[in-house]
Amino acid sequence: MLTFLLKRFIQALMVVVAISVVGFLLQGALGDPIQQLLGASASDAERAALREAMGLNDPLWRQYLHFACSALQLDFGDSTFFHQPTLSILARYLPATAELIFASAVLTLLLSFPIGIYAAIRPTAALSRFFMGVSVLGISIPVFLTAIGLIQFFSIGVSVTLFPDATPWGHWLNDLLSTRGGMPAYGRGNPEHVIGVWYTNFASWKGLSYIALPALSLASVMLPLFVRLIRAEMVEILASDYVRFARAKGLTPARIYTVHALKNALLPVITLGGMQFGSLLAYTLLTETVFQWPGLGLMFLDAVERADMPLITTCLMVAGFFFVVINTLIDLTYRLLNPRIALQMEPR
Amino acid sequence: MRSFRCRFALLLGTLILLALRPAAANDEVTLRVAYNTLPISLDIHEQLSIGVLQLAHLTFDPLVRWNRHLTFEPRLATSWERPDATTMRFHLRHGVVFHSGNPFTAQDVAWTVKRLKRSPDFKAIFDPITRVDVIDDYTVDLHTRHPYPLLLNLATYIFPMDSRFYSGETEDGRDKAAIVKNGNSFASRHLSGTGPFTVEQIHPGTRIDLERFPDYWDHDSPGNVDHLTLTPIGENATRVAALLSGDVDFISPVPANALERVRRAEGVKLLTMPGTRITMLQLNQQRVPAFRDPRVRRAMAYAVDQDAIATRLLKGFVTPAAQMSPEGYAGHNPDLVPRHDLEKARQLMADAGYSQGFEVTLMAPNNRYVNDAQMAQVALAVSAMLAKINIKVDFQTLPNSQYWEQFDARAADIMMIGWYSDTNDSANFFEYLTFCPDSRTGVGFYNASEYCNPEVDSLVELANGETDPERRAGMLKRAEAMVYDDAPFIPLYWQNLAWAAADRVDIEPVLNVMNMPYLGDVVVEPRD
Amino acid sequence: MMLSARTWRQQVRNSRLWYRLRRDRVAQCALLLVVVLVGAALLAPWLAPSNPYDLAQINLLDSELPPFWVAGSVSAHPLGTDVQGRDLLSIIVYGARVSLAIGFGAVLLQAFVGISLGLLAGYRGGRVDALLMRLADIQLSFSTLMMAILVSALVKAAFGGAFYGNYGVIVLIFIIGLSEWPQYARTVRASVLGEKRKEYVEAARVLGFSGPRIVLRHILPNALSSSLVISTLQIGNAIMAEAALSFLGLGMPETEPSLGSLIKAGFDYLQSGAWWITLLPGLYLVGLIVSMNLLGDWLRDTLNPRFYDAIASNAAGSRQRRRR
Repeated sequence: MLTFLLKRFIQALMVVVAISVVGFLLQGALGDPIQQLLGASASDAERAALREAMGLNDPLWRQYLHFACSALQLDFGDSTFFHQPTLSILARYLPATAELIFASAVLTLLLSFPIGIYAAIRPTAALSRFFMGVSVLGISIPVFLTAIGLIQFFSIGVSVTLFPDATPWGHWLNDLLSTRGGMPAYGRGNPEHVIGVWYTNFASWKGLSYIALPALSLASVMLPLFVRLIRAEMVEILASDYVRFARAKGLTPARIYTVHALKNALLPVITLGGMQFGSLLAYTLLTETVFQWPGLGLMFLDAVERADMPLITTCLMVAGFFFVVINTLIDLTYRLLNPRIALQMEPR
Repeated sequence: MRSFRCRFALLLGTLILLALRPAAANDEVTLRVAYNTLPISLDIHEQLSIGVLQLAHLTFDPLVRWNRHLTFEPRLATSWERPDATTMRFHLRHGVVFHSGNPFTAQDVAWTVKRLKRSPDFKAIFDPITRVDVIDDYTVDLHTRHPYPLLLNLATYIFPMDSRFYSGETEDGRDKAAIVKNGNSFASRHLSGTGPFTVEQIHPGTRIDLERFPDYWDHDSPGNVDHLTLTPIGENATRVAALLSGDVDFISPVPANALERVRRAEGVKLLTMPGTRITMLQLNQQRVPAFRDPRVRRAMAYAVDQDAIATRLLKGFVTPAAQMSPEGYAGHNPDLVPRHDLEKARQLMADAGYSQGFEVTLMAPNNRYVNDAQMAQVALAVSAMLAKINIKVDFQTLPNSQYWEQFDARAADIMMIGWYSDTNDSANFFEYLTFCPDSRTGVGFYNASEYCNPEVDSLVELANGETDPERRAGMLKRAEAMVYDDAPFIPLYWQNLAWAAADRVDIEPVLNVMNMPYLGDVVVEPRD
Repeated sequence: MMLSARTWRQQVRNSRLWYRLRRDRVAQCALLLVVVLVGAALLAPWLAPSNPYDLAQINLLDSELPPFWVAGSVSAHPLGTDVQGRDLLSIIVYGARVSLAIGFGAVLLQAFVGISLGLLAGYRGGRVDALLMRLADIQLSFSTLMMAILVSALVKAAFGGAFYGNYGVIVLIFIIGLSEWPQYARTVRASVLGEKRKEYVEAARVLGFSGPRIVLRHILPNALSSSLVISTLQIGNAIMAEAALSFLGLGMPETEPSLGSLIKAGFDYLQSGAWWITLLPGLYLVGLIVSMNLLGDWLRDTLNPRFYDAIASNAAGSRQRRRR
């Protein structure tokens, strides 16, 4: 176990170092920070002076060593745009993203378990066929389209005039299908301050109305994934010998589903869900773009636009670090759960 | 665990909110403003940008300032005169104090002008000024090298700083007066001006809190705002949403595609004004031989339909342009109007022997913040219009961070540029955009047309030595007409300015085409 | 070996796939939709009312015309026009061509890279295998879409918009193709490990066949069926990834828009009421991805009966209970 952890630690380090080198090397290619800082009106002498002051004239390996040494002390340099340590900027944008992910995770978990279990128990029922159909649709609709659709329906509003408006039923149907809109579609509104850099959307109805549409569209991609995952796990377990045995023993179906089946399905679902962390980040980035949600994703794209290399590199390194940590945790739970799987995962 | 922590946080947040609420007294007026950017530093000489000037008008006062009709209004200077052709004498206001309590005198003006001449961003503008003489405590003379007609325009940039406050050394031995780009200088974190607001707190990049200065000199100002907060909201749509939801009271700019929504919304009002920033396409004559033929350039000017771009693509958010000087500028020539005429354009191309057309490249900047998509859309629309006279345009848009490098390298045959005259005067356009490029003096630095017409240059230079406004305007108008005929570039439009505010904010009287709302004078109806 | 047309037809008729297809309504609909949507894209030059790439045909004064069922529409533009005055129907089918080209190209590339590396890892084993699989793990854990976003952000920033303007399709094929190879590599490696132990491979080795020959002639064909299933699912993924990148402004440029960049361009005008510019290309995109995913799912379930059997047996279980 210890060697496994050690190996993993070294791998994590290698990933982070690799990312830092890539980010560092691209520094030169990503626009000129001097141009950005001084603007177009600066003279060549001023540019040269700043270039020297920022150490941009040193040999590359020296610049990298300098960078790596400070990175080890959690100093990733200052953003060329904000003039603040990059980690503190990340910290400032983190709450928005964390709250968005949290809200959609709550939605996802609340809905996916009942639906997934039901679909596994009654695979042929009309309702579960409907759910599975919707889940295929949900997986196939790009999150930004779901988001645009939600904005059109709940923020801008849709007036349907498909049915004859003169007849009472037509009028009723038109009314039913039309939406008034008015939900906030952009930004976080004015979230309440909690502590430090943390402002929250959960402390007021208004705050919640801002987070509703973004959370819903993010949940719209995670939900079908989890429903399918849970169903698949449950199907497998329900077909296993010990469940058959439990049935034969005459245990009530409710007890079989909750105690025996669900308990065994839970951990694989959580670990497999954990593997979706990367996709989750990608979807979050897209969601944040559509709703202009001022989180890490939007900040990252802005940083790319501004050629704010220290900030970009820090984002990449922190993300890489988290990926490796989460994956190690997943592997560990796998090993603890099922030694057989652990053996299979060894390449030899 | 997580949900517990969240619940705890919720509780904590609610408690803090409850504790905070009664603190704000009812009779105090708060104005919350969202701009697209905020200055990172409090040093008004560190960078020449619209954000810095907006901040300067809140915390400092200029000697004179522009009013809505583009004429001058006395501020810290009460009157002025020209003792001779190269001197301007300013008489200063009595009884003005800085935020620090120091009295304002002519010494502060002299000190500020000297500091401006050291500032990398401002020194070019202040180059004409050679000497500042303090005559007495309330009289100061500015001397120029040559007779210079735009001295009052320059005076709008002189925001006297508290010379005693900014002199000396900090505890760690740094010069308090130092101008350090993007560094932690004393002036970037401390501020003492004469303006209507004092700086309470600055969170770089996220928020600036200002308070009414109790000893403000201008007792005639109707302004009644006690607390002013500035926040940057870079994303256009978010800024609009913040106003519509009542989270802020005043926003600028309002993006083109939200104008209709703001206009229709209840409880808020939209205000627009034709702006002064010209956007044009420069046709590089060094790179493309065909562009050396004035007939080809004129044909392109005839092919582009500025009105369609303005009304269709940009939703009337711009004013179509056929010259550089906007209305109100000395050189604005009312005879020069957009000349869309496809037949004539084709004829000119045929006359020049290019009826088969040719291929060119075009580059445009593409900033995510300033109407980002529209830039690409404008470039595409122009390409489609030029395709009709058989000019095939291969265009690309680049983020701002990369664009200016390409621009300096003149990397494409056609370059898009937006230009704002720092002096609010026509001559500035010519000096930077059409003068024969001269790397020694820096004139024509942004002339990516590589156009050179000594006749235009000397006419504008003559105007720059002419102190009679009427005669000067005549010269500049003639210069505009010459450039119109020569068509070294295709003018597209002047970007309109748009602001939006809650109904209770009487914002209109304090707006101006420089986009520097004088929020010290704004009247806000208190909430009931 | 040649099959006559008749026996070929008969083989199809008797095959398990055909049998399942005839009984599955959903699969039939999906197949039909794929054929229609892909067909429309392939036949774009003949179907489209105008050529949206020919700038001389565009008239800005025709911009933002609504589709035919909305008041104010024009019969020349059945689905309306976009902000530039381009015919929306034309630009959608042309855009779908770009999307499909990138999707297929990326899948071909990832299949090639993934299968090669998977074969190498599975057959060689040892250090090569460990290294490749760790690499695959790391890349998978980053998530393919995230990987593609990061890489294209860096590529775009490093090489500039010009690069995308000229080589957009190829750049995107490479970015999406190279970020998704582990899917194939893992599956192929697993099936190689399975095949390797079988007698026929042993026999071949005893007969003195060379390693590469065994891999290519004997193991590869067996690994291909699983790759085919992955491919149908991956095309949907690749098209979606391309759309996501283009939507973020990291993909196809305005002059040669894919479905994703059409949606992005339209989104900026959503607030001004012209919903069709963004929602109609969106509908096409969803139709394309949904039908391909359904088809892929169906193919997987059909070719991999274990999963299907599990459901069936469980269904039988619940029926039994009900009877009781």
